[in-house]
Amino acid sequence: MKTWRFRKAAAFLTALPLYVFTIAFVAGPLVLMVAISFLSRGESWGYVLEPTLRNYKGIFEPAYTAAFAQSIKLALVSTVASVLVGYPFGYFMARLSPEWRSRCMVLLIIPFWTSSLMRLYGWMTIFRANGVLDSALMAIGVIKEPLKLLYSFPAVAVGMVYTLVPFMIYSVFSSAEKLDWSLVEAARDLGASPAQAFLTVILPLTMPGLYSGIVLTFIPSMGLYFIADLLGGSKIALVGNIIQEQMMRVHNMPLAAAFSVVLMGLTSLCLLAYRKLAKTGELEGLIQ
Amino acid sequence: MKKIMVAAILAALVLMPGCAKKEEAKPALSLYTWEAMFPQEVLDAFTEETGYPITYSNFDFDETMLAKLEASNGGDYDLVIADDYIIEEAVNLGLVSQLDKSKLSNYGNINPVYQKPFYDPEDLYTVPYGAGVQTILYNPDKVLLDINGYKDLWDSTLRDDIGVIANYRVVNGLALKVLGESYNTDDLDVIQQAGDRLVELAPNIRLIKDDNLQDDILSGEVAAIVGYTSMVTMALIENPNLKVVFPEEGIGFGIMAAFIPSKAPNSEAAYAFLDYIMDPERGAECFEYLGYYSTYKASDPFISDEYKSFLTLPEGFATNMEMIQNISAEANEKHEQIWTLFKNAAGQ
Repeated sequence: MKTWRFRKAAAFLTALPLYVFTIAFVAGPLVLMVAISFLSRGESWGYVLEPTLRNYKGIFEPAYTAAFAQSIKLALVSTVASVLVGYPFGYFMARLSPEWRSRCMVLLIIPFWTSSLMRLYGWMTIFRANGVLDSALMAIGVIKEPLKLLYSFPAVAVGMVYTLVPFMIYSVFSSAEKLDWSLVEAARDLGASPAQAFLTVILPLTMPGLYSGIVLTFIPSMGLYFIADLLGGSKIALVGNIIQEQMMRVHNMPLAAAFSVVLMGLTSLCLLAYRKLAKTGELEGLIQ
Repeated sequence: MKKIMVAAILAALVLMPGCAKKEEAKPALSLYTWEAMFPQEVLDAFTEETGYPITYSNFDFDETMLAKLEASNGGDYDLVIADDYIIEEAVNLGLVSQLDKSKLSNYGNINPVYQKPFYDPEDLYTVPYGAGVQTILYNPDKVLLDINGYKDLWDSTLRDDIGVIANYRVVNGLALKVLGESYNTDDLDVIQQAGDRLVELAPNIRLIKDDNLQDDILSGEVAAIVGYTSMVTMALIENPNLKVVFPEEGIGFGIMAAFIPSKAPNSEAAYAFLDYIMDPERGAECFEYLGYYSTYKASDPFISDEYKSFLTLPEGFATNMEMIQNISAEANEKHEQIWTLFKNAAGQ
């Protein structure tokens, strides 16, 4: 009896710092953010304690709904492209011999040793007028004038896909790795064509990985606003840009908070959809 | 033997800083401003001559500076250099201390053009450090028309060929100027009209950014930019064929200024530094590095010929200039909305 109580107390005490940390630095700021989103802005900075729904109404200004539409469009494009690149990659990586698999893994991780900002500057060098790509295309005579590649929607989408595709690959890979290949062989033995075997056996069994890959690319791509700034020449205004601008330039903290709450709502919806579809709360690939 | 060597090297390393310290170090000067505001040689020479080491902290946006200064209630920093409009707010919030001009022997070097500005109408709080205008810069090899003012930017031959700075008051302001209005209008309808004009400008906009916009006109990414003086200076040093236009509709003008926060822990060092950079020759060195107009009349003669035309105001220039000032919260919100719509339209 005594040891049991002691153990319970010890467990509680061990976990206490974690509780305190989570309440102070995760739950606290969240509650504060939600609360601020219902308050009025202060004269020059901050907020005053006057409850209002004005901020949520403000989100429906055409300027801001356009930004939400733009964010979702970019997220959809990047996610679809990531699936097209990442799914086959992850799938075939799982079919490699264990030795090559780990080599592949290392190669995928190496770019992460460099800051993502640096790598984006690399893309800027490639896309720049008279840059690497322009010069190459002009040298082989495909084009005569430099193309206007940088500072465009496709450039931003390429940057997004480049940054996020590893998450898709890992997710699909960890699903495909667990796949029982004898099931595929059985399907083939029973007369399924390769395409049929893929659609009826492989795809359904790797679906959890695909779903989690989609979640892991769709959600961040709505918030990675520095990619839109650098490769899009700040012309692609995402929700992230608006939150930053409302905070830092307009000093409208309550409106920025309302945007964050709505963005979080959208994110939660995505996660909820994932739970329903994949029938699990855990993200494949990140949490094994 | 090896062990003794290692020990000797370690001992030397440990003892070296101790030997170098001849006298007790003075408390550091805490300087808070944007990155790259002073040449490193000037900062090093200041420490050498006065004994004050410098802690240089930087911010990206004026607003960040104001938030930090508010959080520390005017403490933590000894000297801040920021933009005009934010200083007005800082003064109103009581975060700025009055200058004791008797401690500034070089105070008389300031060019009177930059004195008694809106943010400090009696010259009680600030010392200007660099000023700039927003100008159009274009590459005559690529632009088919003669650009004289902001209205020419709407020309259809400039499609997808213009870069602008990312300051919404400046860019929205250029549409206000085309409408013949003030940068600082609080009239929401007028701001909306400017927004409508900007949406028409959007197809010509290729790029919106604050850092190093000159690189994009030099590399040929864009044919024209609306930029700050420092960008124009750097671009012209690289390519003297580019053309500068002071827009006929009116010129937006800004001053950067230094102030000592109300509870600066080491204001003596701040005075020493201010007086140090206001020295004529050293001022000239700083402005050449900074690429903004020299705000010290005494420094003008020391600016080298290569830079002279960029860093000193042309004669009779002060007409038709307007400074961007603080406006009402509603007007500011409206500005943000038309700016976001403009960016969206440019991104289509």
